[in-house]
Amino acid sequence: MLRLKSTLAALSVSAMLSGTAIAADPIKIGVVTPLSGTYAGIGQQVRWGLELATKELNATGGIMGRQIELIFEDEEANPSVAVQKAEKLFQVSKVDFLTGTVNSGSTLAVGQLAERSDKLIATTVSFADSITGDKCSPNVFRVNAKAGQQSAALAAWLVKAKPQAKVYYLGPDYEMGRSTVAAFKSNVDRVGGQSLGEVFAPLDSKDYTQYFGQLRAARPQVLYTSVAGNDTVRLLTQLQEFGLLEGLTILGASGTVTAQNIAAIGKAVEGFVTGVGYTAEIDTPENKKFVAAFQAANKADPDLYGADSYGLIYAYKAAVDKANSTETAKVRDALRGLAWDTPQGKKTIRAGDHQAEQIMYVVQVTGGKFKIVAQVAAADAIGPDVCTRF
Amino acid sequence: MLDYLQFVLTPQIVTGLALGVAVILVALGLTIIFGLLDVINMSHGEFYALGAFIALALGQVGLPFWALLFAVPILMLPIGYLVERGLIQRVFHSKDRHITTLLLTFGFALVLEDALRLVFGPNPYKPETPIRGAVEVLGTYLPLYRLFMVAIGGLVIVGTALIVYRTRLGAMVRAAAFDRNMAASLGVPVERVYAGAFAFGVALAGLAGVLLAPIYSVFPTMGRDFILLAFTVIIVGGMGSIGGAVIAGLFLTQVQAISSLYISPVWADPIVFGIMVIMLVVRPQGLRGGLGHA
Repeated sequence: MLRLKSTLAALSVSAMLSGTAIAADPIKIGVVTPLSGTYAGIGQQVRWGLELATKELNATGGIMGRQIELIFEDEEANPSVAVQKAEKLFQVSKVDFLTGTVNSGSTLAVGQLAERSDKLIATTVSFADSITGDKCSPNVFRVNAKAGQQSAALAAWLVKAKPQAKVYYLGPDYEMGRSTVAAFKSNVDRVGGQSLGEVFAPLDSKDYTQYFGQLRAARPQVLYTSVAGNDTVRLLTQLQEFGLLEGLTILGASGTVTAQNIAAIGKAVEGFVTGVGYTAEIDTPENKKFVAAFQAANKADPDLYGADSYGLIYAYKAAVDKANSTETAKVRDALRGLAWDTPQGKKTIRAGDHQAEQIMYVVQVTGGKFKIVAQVAAADAIGPDVCTRF
Repeated sequence: MLDYLQFVLTPQIVTGLALGVAVILVALGLTIIFGLLDVINMSHGEFYALGAFIALALGQVGLPFWALLFAVPILMLPIGYLVERGLIQRVFHSKDRHITTLLLTFGFALVLEDALRLVFGPNPYKPETPIRGAVEVLGTYLPLYRLFMVAIGGLVIVGTALIVYRTRLGAMVRAAAFDRNMAASLGVPVERVYAGAFAFGVALAGLAGVLLAPIYSVFPTMGRDFILLAFTVIIVGGMGSIGGAVIAGLFLTQVQAISSLYISPVWADPIVFGIMVIMLVVRPQGLRGGLGHA
């Protein structure tokens, strides 16, 4: 009797075990994102966004009845570290999909690795146009707005708010700075603005006053800048200190003024305008629900990185459901042309270059907070498909 | 032409001057520590950051800016004294003093920077500028706080030079720098003079932190900002020379300011460091002699 009981118990335990084994065989998503260093604040938002979406989906049965498991690795915003960590996730953890890279260089490098490993990756943060442009890859997708979309939106606003504006450019002297300035400049030329000159300051410049001579001599109405972090704090407060903000409208890249530095800039940030793919201010029921859930989970507002990362998990679910598989080739086909709902509205992945098309917003700082001043339709901001590899 | 003078050249020279005074303030402590102790203080930039953060913390509990100008250097004195007695003295007498003290202060800088990050977080803070507004002199726009900084900085530099060259205390310091053993045998408490001079240098870095925080904002890695330029200034000016640091500091920042009007500002750094390299080749001792020799 005792023996029978224990046999039954063993049987039921093993049945339970095998049952859970099938249900718990999760879909693994690797996340290579900066958890330490300068970009840790961005990595934090990426993590929060991915975790929130994963929690929501897992509570309603996951993807194809399988739970989603996120595996995090710290890329330190360094392409060579990112490649090592991605290799580990592909080879050791056997992840089905990978995301999280912030630094555009990391995204490009991990993209090459993904091609060799026959895996798919998506970035939710990197801005550089080349990722879905001349350096596009059949294994790389981007669900956030690229630099070109941001500056097209901003230029569309500029032509209405300040026709024939005289514009001066100040960017950080590296790949991102030069490409953002070039992108905005071509947009300004396109809409009939006048470019007066440009100056590139080294990253981490302590004193921007040494560039004010050139700026003052040019007498612009609009200053476009793509500096970020502490650099923005110094640039804007020093402009204010020298009385240069009078009659000057400051436009910037979407990473120029963020939740991390807006408080430190203080009054000098009033009137700053930028083009973004997401802002917590978007007044739709979907976004309000998302912002409330995000705040409840993380005690912080989502920014564009958090929202785009959140949306990615839903894109992946939609693609895997459509493909009914997690195989690379099938998921790739499903992602191409995929349209899905995100807190910021419907996004569509353009099949020709793997870039997400989305409504763009132009936001301006009023009373220390970003307010939406204009919307630009997805088709007007996306720009031509210049990817020739697939 | 007048337009160009008013709006471009003059403001550029004035901002260059303000930057020059800021750099000299940071370099002053560095050159005193090198001139006297023969120690290259790699953690000097982090002491500058520490001063700015102490000012930030005290400012948040309500201490006015004027009080900070005195409170922060006074608080930095015991910190500097303890670091010298507790850390630097321990390796001071080893054979490779330059290497061991350089590594020690470099390590200490890393610890200090991470400690600041742990306590205050990585995001920047911007203290309110204590003197707002600007004056217009002949159509040239000059922010009052920069003028104030040039004035206070000038006073501190002159005061420091007077203490070192014109007081009994300064004479003891210079004697200890010139010949440590002779000074000791004449009754100069050399160990305490060393620790005191280190503390004084650190206090100057702290004062620079208070003065520069409203302009350059406060964050954990701010110590790296000035340190390269400050080292360049004391190399060109002559290691350990106060007068040399002043001349080199003003000269190099004017070179930066004016050259960036005509060529890409990215070239300002290579030009300044190029001058340093030429100086090291042509006149390695710098413009002026060191502390013990002036």
